[in-house]
Amino acid sequence: VTGVAEGLRVLDFTWFAVGPITTKYLADNGAEVIKIESHQRPDGLRLTPPFSGEPGLNRSQFFGNCNTSKKSVTIDMSTEEGRDLIRGLVSHCDVVAESFRAGTMDKWGLGYDKLRELRPDIIYYATCLQGQTGPRAGYAGFGTQLSAIAGFYHLSGYSPDELTPVHGPYTDFVAPRFGCFALLSAIDHRRRTGEGQMIDMSQYEASLHFLSPAITQYFATGTIAQAVGNHSPRYAPHGAYRCRDDAAGERWVVLAVDGDEQWRDLLRVLGDDAGLSIFPVHADRLERSGEVDRYIGKLIARRAAAELTAALQQAGIPAYPVQNCDDLRDDENLRAWGFFRDVDQPESGPMPYDGPAYRLDRTPGQQSAAPDLGEHTEEVLSGLLGLSAAEIGRLRDAKILN
Amino acid sequence: MTPAGPLHGYRVLDLADENAALCGKMFADLGADVVKVEPPGGCPTRSIPPFVDDLAGPDRSCYFQALAAGKRSVALDLEQAHGRDLLARLADRADFLIESSPAGYLDNLGLSYQALAARNPRLVYTSVTPFGDRGPGAAWRAADIAGWAASGMMALMGAPGRPPLQVSVPQACFHAGSEAAVASMLAHLDRQGSGRGQKVVISLQAAAVWATSSETALPVLEARSLARSGAIPAMMQGSRYLYKCADGYVQLTVGSGIFLATTIGLLEWLKEWGPLPEPVAAIDFATWTQDRLRSRDPELLAETAACEAAIAGLLERLAKAEIMSRADVSGWAIAPVNTPEDIARDPQLAARDYYQEVEHPSLDRNLTLLGPFAKLSGTPAPAARRAPMLGEHNADILRGDLGLSGEEFAILEAAGVIVPAGQGIGR
Repeated sequence: VTGVAEGLRVLDFTWFAVGPITTKYLADNGAEVIKIESHQRPDGLRLTPPFSGEPGLNRSQFFGNCNTSKKSVTIDMSTEEGRDLIRGLVSHCDVVAESFRAGTMDKWGLGYDKLRELRPDIIYYATCLQGQTGPRAGYAGFGTQLSAIAGFYHLSGYSPDELTPVHGPYTDFVAPRFGCFALLSAIDHRRRTGEGQMIDMSQYEASLHFLSPAITQYFATGTIAQAVGNHSPRYAPHGAYRCRDDAAGERWVVLAVDGDEQWRDLLRVLGDDAGLSIFPVHADRLERSGEVDRYIGKLIARRAAAELTAALQQAGIPAYPVQNCDDLRDDENLRAWGFFRDVDQPESGPMPYDGPAYRLDRTPGQQSAAPDLGEHTEEVLSGLLGLSAAEIGRLRDAKILN
Repeated sequence: MTPAGPLHGYRVLDLADENAALCGKMFADLGADVVKVEPPGGCPTRSIPPFVDDLAGPDRSCYFQALAAGKRSVALDLEQAHGRDLLARLADRADFLIESSPAGYLDNLGLSYQALAARNPRLVYTSVTPFGDRGPGAAWRAADIAGWAASGMMALMGAPGRPPLQVSVPQACFHAGSEAAVASMLAHLDRQGSGRGQKVVISLQAAAVWATSSETALPVLEARSLARSGAIPAMMQGSRYLYKCADGYVQLTVGSGIFLATTIGLLEWLKEWGPLPEPVAAIDFATWTQDRLRSRDPELLAETAACEAAIAGLLERLAKAEIMSRADVSGWAIAPVNTPEDIARDPQLAARDYYQEVEHPSLDRNLTLLGPFAKLSGTPAPAARRAPMLGEHNADILRGDLGLSGEEFAILEAAGVIVPAGQGIGR
């Protein structure tokens, strides 16, 4: 057994980040996830850096990281014969997943209503930016745009006039877990009842759950939450503090102090006697957090981030060095977790991938290579549809399989 | 038939604090019976700001009302032997247990996975740890900002020369909570076949690392690392993408390829006010080919910068709605930087009946909650339910489900093992 999802088969039309990360949870746990691509329209992530060596369709780490353990089949879906092959595959699958602009699969005659005629208990998972219905159903876009629309950029900055966006196509890494959870729930329901269904996962609606306190607050009180830097309404001090630089450059530590006992402990770790009488009361420290920051900032400036983190944690104060991407490779906790792992890719050799953030102790699953474009076309078509080598050759010549 | 959700019939014991509050919320949204087990004084998430009208109180935290919606509450003192016994009996009939206690806390109370699985081998027991359970930080504590710093996300946010930043609604714990929900369901998938549960462990740090996308591979593949770069996102190699307008911000990218039509369209709009500035007027956009987007040629970057400056000058005179209505008609790739107010009023969300209003007996107004994160055609999610008051379901669960007699219940309540409903004062 290679994992908990063994025996499930997924026909996966998703591309870019959200859909592929969603189905990756199944693939890394033993499901057979078959990506449908074509040379005219490969998954866009295949062309996205970073690459291992020269750029190439089978050399993108970004693509591979989101698509480990899957298969890739290339079929030209703009042809009727190509779509027939898809229909044939659907009847062998438990789940169909797609992340096109709303309505695209219907246009091809491959929407849920058509596919359930072929396979009544199919689970049809559709995700797009703003959902399958509503005035903005057809709005295509990337995670950077959705991060603006869903409020994340408004809440990223030192102040409302100094916004600095949260990194990357942020919602691309927020939405997949909601989608996967819904998909797993539908799989469970089917096992209990034999019924399939369609899932409409709006990445917008899912991502808002990461800002639910601010939306709830607005409705309850009319207050519009704003960017406040590292200021916290609960902890003081709270933020990132510059430590002693080292050979690699600037170093920062974060910490969060909750209440008088932790404040005493912090000052003890920092070897300071005076702070206790200057800022004796938690509510006052919250009020004067800027002054508190400057006060402890001076004490922290001489310290080394790693050493100070260990001392603060020893004293029960949440703290960590601000790790950059270089540091993460050497982070002892990620190492002990086994987070980073190299997986051999057919074309590009060992590729550095992220591992899961979960561990299933009894059924660990296995992360294998991401597929080269079309790597499994013959295997899947002969295995599932029983096509002969001659028939596959004919389809290749006719550019149906490309 | 009243919608019950795909997870109707499953029981989740939710012992989690802030680190994993979202996990139980996701189960509740899809219909599971999620029972918060709260300590005397209430779950610490009841005291997370902001509060309704800025007044603290056990039912006044907007965070709690959002994250505990749809859950039930039983209040038990687990530091008393009888409290632990009640929890173990609840775990006997639960499908999932979610916890994010400090390392060793539940083990020392005799409530480890091993102890509870010996009684109920079907149990899926999910532990959310700040930094994993095997490294030097296995016993360390996380506040959200520490998880964010540990993930690499913080180093990528903020301006050079100023501190690295977190999002003003802290995010790291949400990554962990949602990862825990998925992983718990993966374990459940196995249980359906094997009949056996298992221990699931989450690293909050690792869950948030995923949000860096592939930047963690840059040191290996390109021998470089990204640094925070203010309003210019580190990943875009020099292009800024937040632009100030008269009443807020919009997001767009000036450049070639898929951004070219938007770039040219905005410059055409600018011409309605007068001639383009010299360096921009001189640009031949036919030379703006797709591959230009990744070029670091200083001359090309200067051209882009000149366009950015001109477009910034245009946008700062215009209101967000004005920009967006022109963008919609023209098909430009511009997104509004929405505020919570914009999001509350968004017609797209209204058309999909996203928001749901609930009454709350201890507040003087109704609350509007987010709808479920996915629409399932065959098993629609149940209607939104408000968050529970402390111990609100003590009797339903302990008498109704566990079968405590009235006398037993009263004795345990008098001993403080069961915390009387409504006694919460927050922390």
